[in-house]
Amino acid sequence: MQEGTPLNSRQVNRELLVSILNSPKWFFGALAVLGFIVLVAMSTAGFMINQGFGVTGLNRPVMWGFFITNFVFWIGISHAGVMLSAILRLSKAEWRRPATRAAEILTVFSLMTAMTMPLIHTGRPWRTVYWIYTLPFVPYDYARGIWPNVRTPLVWDPSAVYTYLTSSILFVLVALIPDFAVLRDRTTGLSHRIYGMLAMGWQGNARQWKLQIIAGVLLSALILPVFVSVHSIVSWDFGMAVSVKSWHSTIFAPYFVVGAVHSGVSAVAFVLIILRYIYGWQNYIRHEHIDALARLLIVVATGWFYFFVMEVVFGFYGREADEIAVRNLQFTVTPWNIWMMIFVGLTYFAPVAIWLSRSARRNLWIMSLACIFVNIGMWLERFLIIVPGLARKQLLTFDWYTYRPSSVEWIIIIGTFALVSMLMLTIARVVPLIPLYDIKEGEILRTEIKIGRVTVPAVFRED
Amino acid sequence: MAATEPKGHGQHAGMWVFPDVTVMSREVAEKTKSSPQPFTMALVATGILFILGIIGFIVRAADDGFDEIGPWGYYMAVFSMVFMVTGGAPLVAVAFRFTKSHWRRPLSRVSELFAIVGILNLLMFIPLMFLLPAIENPEGVVEGELFVRRTIWFEGPIGAPHAWDLVGVAGLVVTSLFILWLSAMPDMAECRHTATGFRRWFYSKLSGNWYGTKRQWNAQKAGLALVGAFYFMTLIFMQFVISSDYAQSLIPGWKDSIFPVIYTITSLHMGFGAILVTLFILRKWGGYDGYIGKSTFWSGSKVLLGITLLWVYHLFAFFITFWYGRLEVEQNIIKYLVTDTYGIIFLLNLAFSFALPFAVIIWNPVRRSDWGPALAGALLMIGGVMFNIRIFVGSANAAPGSDLYRAFMEHVPAPVYPDIWDVLMVIGGLGAAVFVYLLATRLLPVLAIWEIKEGALYQKWGKFVRGEYLVLGKPE
Repeated sequence: MQEGTPLNSRQVNRELLVSILNSPKWFFGALAVLGFIVLVAMSTAGFMINQGFGVTGLNRPVMWGFFITNFVFWIGISHAGVMLSAILRLSKAEWRRPATRAAEILTVFSLMTAMTMPLIHTGRPWRTVYWIYTLPFVPYDYARGIWPNVRTPLVWDPSAVYTYLTSSILFVLVALIPDFAVLRDRTTGLSHRIYGMLAMGWQGNARQWKLQIIAGVLLSALILPVFVSVHSIVSWDFGMAVSVKSWHSTIFAPYFVVGAVHSGVSAVAFVLIILRYIYGWQNYIRHEHIDALARLLIVVATGWFYFFVMEVVFGFYGREADEIAVRNLQFTVTPWNIWMMIFVGLTYFAPVAIWLSRSARRNLWIMSLACIFVNIGMWLERFLIIVPGLARKQLLTFDWYTYRPSSVEWIIIIGTFALVSMLMLTIARVVPLIPLYDIKEGEILRTEIKIGRVTVPAVFRED
Repeated sequence: MAATEPKGHGQHAGMWVFPDVTVMSREVAEKTKSSPQPFTMALVATGILFILGIIGFIVRAADDGFDEIGPWGYYMAVFSMVFMVTGGAPLVAVAFRFTKSHWRRPLSRVSELFAIVGILNLLMFIPLMFLLPAIENPEGVVEGELFVRRTIWFEGPIGAPHAWDLVGVAGLVVTSLFILWLSAMPDMAECRHTATGFRRWFYSKLSGNWYGTKRQWNAQKAGLALVGAFYFMTLIFMQFVISSDYAQSLIPGWKDSIFPVIYTITSLHMGFGAILVTLFILRKWGGYDGYIGKSTFWSGSKVLLGITLLWVYHLFAFFITFWYGRLEVEQNIIKYLVTDTYGIIFLLNLAFSFALPFAVIIWNPVRRSDWGPALAGALLMIGGVMFNIRIFVGSANAAPGSDLYRAFMEHVPAPVYPDIWDVLMVIGGLGAAVFVYLLATRLLPVLAIWEIKEGALYQKWGKFVRGEYLVLGKPE
């Protein structure tokens, strides 16, 4: 039997536009709380810029800490959008339909949030212009012979991230056109004019649909290499640094990409559960969708675990003193070893054990917990790659040190989570977080096959 | 032909076949029994190659013995080629059974039959056990050399690496044969009623008490899932072990965590390539065109395209990390395996494992054909051959004698070209693999009859609005 009840177009429009046309009572309260947290974090960042890095826990040799960890984490979350949207669209997985839009929008916001981290981390954000430009009107001190180095991954990084951000926004906008038209026809005044502009004259004729589908497929195919390259390049921020032995690993690129997909898809599953709860979208985000995401996550998590094992095994394999020092710190010195166990347990063993059970996959509370586990674990993963590597960077032990984040760093990090939540909540007021046309198409293509006494869910496939 | 006309319209014309399942068992059983002339000729030709391979092996053993691994580089390469195919191919059936993809049905048995070739692989592995140098430096502690060379086994456990490698390879073969047995049981049970002579005895023994009860079907499906998962993990582990023990750890200073992944992807290339080529032959000349639709090639080619891109991505991740790092040992390894010593082989590897197959299957009309994916599969297999020659001949000859125990590769060795006995061993090993596979196709039906019959229940051609389209059942 098919899960869920059949939905007609009117019902889809009415129920999915509820987040835009009728704001729930709690909406502005939640927005105010999140906005306050963001404001506090921004003020703290301002304070840090004014006072200097002395107010953080960063030190020599651990000059990358919470900010860079958080940067990698949010870049990772952004990978869910393309993973779910482009790959599942190309592979025509039916269960993708309610998940794509939220995933794509989460991509955009997490990328934007990620990019604030290196800016804050510079301590003097206005000087980031030197990463890329040597414009005539920028007073650059050429006399010292220091030029922006285009051969460093630190320059490739913003290029890749901004390319990804641009293409992700394009990807979201193209997919939104038919839904903007629906909103145009249901709003008045200024909203009507703005949605009308964004709908770009969409009337839903055959030619427009054909073009929209082709654009979607082409963008899906084109965005995939960008998606892979972004986190690969982020990994090469570390992998290209031969001076930190535990970072100079050939597997870093795919290891980071798979880890990003793992955390990103978990985040999307969590966002979907929240959306289902707050907007009452039980007919759209059904247990079967969360179940399918969980099964996908088993595969992704296992792939991630394989890369993790390879990374660790070959860390020891070389038996080079400076790398062994890092591994010793990670695996034998408290509290790092405890963090390591928590990280592996939360990222792989606990969630996969949960996802192996069908009833657990369909229990939204347990699924939420598993998804939160993964993201805590993946945050820790980045932290445990970055900090121990730097803490044991030098060969001589008197140069070794540790890292303890200050309250300033904690507040800024918490602020980024509040920022993404606030942006997601705000956008839910502006665009439908479940694509209307995709759901309608899915409803049209839904059918059943009778085999003996059993009725099996089925779909029409044009190709 | 036991099938309706292939369905599909527009660019998908003739894409899907809907077999007449009422005559399928009889027809497939008859084909399994028959030995048409082209088949016999192929059997004879590959049998001759097999014998030539044995001659090459005997002469190599007589000339060089088993003390040094260097002269056996090409043998290692051909072992690895067969290992990649016999390991990777059954995984294709396992993986797509997990994802419940209907298009996989015609390829399931084709891929599982490679498990029988695994027995040959196990036999080929035995001499390699004796060739692998000891982990501990036989000369003890020598200045500039490691006392214990770099391996994934570090300093233990007992019997490593030789005994554990053998246990692993044997375990993999047994597991893949178990999958084949489980999968073929319903078909053997059906065929035992019509078969005669040896086949009747064989099918009766192996199909046991199979009568197709609901309990038996549930047990078979659960068994396939569990053993499949175990096989997947064992395969990945053994590919890590073989690629590390017989390649990476034989080149001093080569520390490359992505190499086992590249090895696994190349194995999937070779396994999937072999399956697509086999399917094409069966469809074109084997009389199975009523059962193997173009849709299988089409869907398979998309997966192949993905794997091909993954291959080049991983290769690039390896290359850029070593190239950018500028460490002397890494530069030497790049010169040895990529740019200088085996530079030509690397270029051929890159062309056949990426550029050419990518250029073929990037085109949708080519992907929709049966020849296109099969051509890409054939190219990928050639690419796999180049990969194995580059890596295993390179590894076997990177550090002769006690150089193996040096901490880093200090100079870039010259290439080792094959002599006549190497050539015989390579073509003989490949010929032997095809020979065993051909024999296996006479033993068991080359199509999973039950799986195709099951697929026929879930796939219909139905009316939708103004046209007719494929209806795909999605059982839980």
